[in-house]
Amino acid sequence: MDTLANVVHGLGVALLPVNLLYCFIGVFIGTLVGVLPGIGPISAMSLLLPVTLSGTPESGIIMMAGIYYGSMYGGSTTSILVNIPGEAASVVTCIDGHQMAKQGRAGPALGIAAFGSFIAGTFSLVALMLVAPSLASIAIAFGPAEYFSLMVLGLVVLTFLTQGSMAKALLMACIGVVLGLVGLDSITAQPRLTFGRIELIDGIGLVPVVMGLFGVAEVLLNTEQAIKRDIINTRITQLLPNREDWKASAGPVSRGTLLGFFLGILPGGGAVVASFASYALEKRLSKHPERFGHGAIEGVAGPEAANNSAAGGAFIPLMTLGIPPNVVMALLLGAFVIHGLQPGPLMISQNPGLFWGIVASMYIGNLMLLVLNLPMIGMWVQLLRLPYNVLFPLIILFTIIGVYCSSNNVFDVYVMIAFGVIGYFMRKLGYEPAPLVLAFVLGPMLENNLRKSLILSQGNLMTFVERPISAVCLAFAAMLLIGPLLPALRKKRELVALDEGA
Amino acid sequence: MSQRNRLMVLLAAAGMLFAATAQAQDYPTKPITLIVPWPAGGSTDISMRAIAESASKVLGQPITIDNKAGGGGTVGPATMAAGAKPDGYTISQIPITVFRLPLMQEVSWDPSKDFSYIIHLTGYTFGVTTSAESPFKSWQDVVDFAKKNPGKVTYATPGTGTSLHIGMEQIAAMAGIKLTQVPFKGGAETNAAVLGQHTMLQADSTGWRPLVDAGKLKLLMVWTGARSPNYPDVPTLKELGYPMVYDSPFGIAGPKGMDPKIVAKLHDAFKKAVEDPAVIATLAKYDMVPNYKNTEDYKKFVVEVTESERKVIDTLGLAKK
Amino acid sequence: MSDQTNVKLRLDNSELWGGLIGLALGLFVIWSGLKLKLGTINDPGSGYVLFYTGILMCLFAASIIIAAVTEGGPSFASRWENARWGKPVLVIVCLTAFALALEPLGFLLSAIPLMLLLLRLIDPVRWTVAIPISILAPTGMWWVLKHLLAIQLPNGMFEIG
Repeated sequence: MDTLANVVHGLGVALLPVNLLYCFIGVFIGTLVGVLPGIGPISAMSLLLPVTLSGTPESGIIMMAGIYYGSMYGGSTTSILVNIPGEAASVVTCIDGHQMAKQGRAGPALGIAAFGSFIAGTFSLVALMLVAPSLASIAIAFGPAEYFSLMVLGLVVLTFLTQGSMAKALLMACIGVVLGLVGLDSITAQPRLTFGRIELIDGIGLVPVVMGLFGVAEVLLNTEQAIKRDIINTRITQLLPNREDWKASAGPVSRGTLLGFFLGILPGGGAVVASFASYALEKRLSKHPERFGHGAIEGVAGPEAANNSAAGGAFIPLMTLGIPPNVVMALLLGAFVIHGLQPGPLMISQNPGLFWGIVASMYIGNLMLLVLNLPMIGMWVQLLRLPYNVLFPLIILFTIIGVYCSSNNVFDVYVMIAFGVIGYFMRKLGYEPAPLVLAFVLGPMLENNLRKSLILSQGNLMTFVERPISAVCLAFAAMLLIGPLLPALRKKRELVALDEGA
Repeated sequence: MSQRNRLMVLLAAAGMLFAATAQAQDYPTKPITLIVPWPAGGSTDISMRAIAESASKVLGQPITIDNKAGGGGTVGPATMAAGAKPDGYTISQIPITVFRLPLMQEVSWDPSKDFSYIIHLTGYTFGVTTSAESPFKSWQDVVDFAKKNPGKVTYATPGTGTSLHIGMEQIAAMAGIKLTQVPFKGGAETNAAVLGQHTMLQADSTGWRPLVDAGKLKLLMVWTGARSPNYPDVPTLKELGYPMVYDSPFGIAGPKGMDPKIVAKLHDAFKKAVEDPAVIATLAKYDMVPNYKNTEDYKKFVVEVTESERKVIDTLGLAKK
Repeated sequence: MSDQTNVKLRLDNSELWGGLIGLALGLFVIWSGLKLKLGTINDPGSGYVLFYTGILMCLFAASIIIAAVTEGGPSFASRWENARWGKPVLVIVCLTAFALALEPLGFLLSAIPLMLLLLRLIDPVRWTVAIPISILAPTGMWWVLKHLLAIQLPNGMFEIG
């Protein structure tokens, strides 16, 4: 009953007109920066941090949180419409979401993304209220060895994202890891693979790579097709998901929500891993895995629910331990401290009004996002009616602006163009960009944690199988790698058996 | 080079000079990026955010924090030294590792040449913690355990070559024990590592404070000269028999070749910031006190600290071959 | 043409070339890893992970090459059949020119011509439509960024924008 009283108290705080206003401003800006690829929540939040200092801590933090989950919502829009993921967590949404848009089903795709996100967001907030303190231990149960094994599992899972050859996907994943390691070594500060270019000391940015491989490459690929012009001339049959869509999506949304929530608790990479783990899971469970990659609504519903639910899970280590699991949460931590509050094990009991007020406002914010986004689906879909020869130059303009804004660096625009060309040839030769991008994100974490765990275990490789969480991750990875081979083996054996019988 | 080309070059140079002075007059006209070479959420990050917030009010332009963690706090300054324009729009926090790491290994920067030092700001309170569930009750327990199990005691630091790493190695040398360092990227990560008992100890600046206050971590010692008023029961290094004080003072700098007028503007703004009561209050949360030095004194300090570090590194046998 | 869409050990086998490029990259990564020092297993160095990733790359690339030689793969010609390859090349040229002009000329002066070129080159849009779009879209974006989000795009030597 305590919790209920707290929730009521929190709602009281969140429903104060000034907090409602801050919440609305937050989710509105969040949606805006989410839709504009490249301008992520991080830059928007660091620019607006000073603005929030004028009000009460509650309003300031409510607005910052609004920007964060607002951008998670907005990120799926560009993925679906023009195949440009706004951030790493929505790379997976591109795969089937954009295919749906090409088939004239952009409306249902956007709709299921919005509803899926709403459902996942609601669930993760309820969970946050009920079980936050007891889940804090998950965040610290993961040490270097556990992270390494989780990253290995992640890399194995991502090969399930591809339609084509496994060898090609694995090669792309390796290239992604190598690209991720460019720059100064995070342990010894030695420059690696920088070719003497000072711009590369800092590593290659994620945004230019993603914009190049997805956005620019997509445009290049489409301009060469004189006859088959997918984006235009599509009949738009419906604006919202129909009954069948809902039936297909119910399972993926609920599984994605759970997966996202638990992975979101982990510091570093949780939301990204959650989104593609959910995709792989749905593909594996589906009776028609061959539909994936050709516009399966499950492939949009699951990952979108997962990455929004992860956004909720990410609050747990921050609120209960004062450990921010990602940069966005760290910015929130900064906002707390500058307001004179110290998130940590004592915060919930010392400042119940603040904690419950923020949680309640996030719920209201999610509702606002749904109201704000549903009417806009119609507008977004109209955008696809633009003739392709107008749409393509606009896409290029958006990618350029997005890349420049993400780093204020012209070099990144060159990087984007280079990756655009590379991406074009990759697709022509049947290599897919998704494994590369995800490995690019996971690679540096994989390397850093491998080296730390080897230092910790004094070079004993057994550490990875002796530690239970790590062992479970590796066992899953092994099962996934060997799994697809088994049916083939069995089939062969059956054939042999038949031959002998005849 | 033909006459005409030479003229062009001269003209261009004059134009650039003109542009530079015009820039210094109006500076700042756009947001300034302050590189914090530590992960977001640690004590350095949050205190720098508070300082930057206050300084930006003086400068009239927002200061955005760019967290470029890694290499014990050198990746950020090294990136700046290598690529940023000395226009005052990119500056960086300079931890002591920027002077120390070049003594230990090959690096891409030269601390005496590659930076325009601006102002010295403050220092840290360091401490060694262990999980509340760990069998270690005091530092003596750690020493006893380590004597029986050489190399088995692991400690998390914010990076190789940081004061925490060097300090722990000095302590180990004096106590006659062998410890194993595990380099993380900063406070938020070392907190998680020691809480989850992935490492036995954590040596870091006061980012551990909320966890120590909540009883999740035990503070075994602090590295300040006198005991911390917040933890009157925790012994200092000196009391434990190690005659040392570590506070790793830090300041900020820009890339080499900055216009002195811009340096002066930044110096004034940041000086006001460390005098701001709100900033002092935030620093106090992490047991940090302002330690102001002006541009000239900061430059002298860099020379001194490099010399004293060289001696320590030599005695520990960590100097680069 | 049609009998050449699936070729085995031939110079225009696109699979073979993809694998060879992968193999070359893998060897380069192994070499870079060795140069950066592997370290020891209880204290892995900067090149440790690069070295082993390089080995994996070579293995995967080798399996692609073997498949290309034994099972054959589509030829380059078939991959580009019915494709107007000139168009992507034009777009790439425009983008490169834009990238070079961005810093000296500033965002507005380089983006407006880029938009105009793209609008006219991919599949010509009527001038009456192309000109307003190429001026309004960059200016509008620039305005939103500068005044709503406080982000300054490059303004170039003429300080326009």
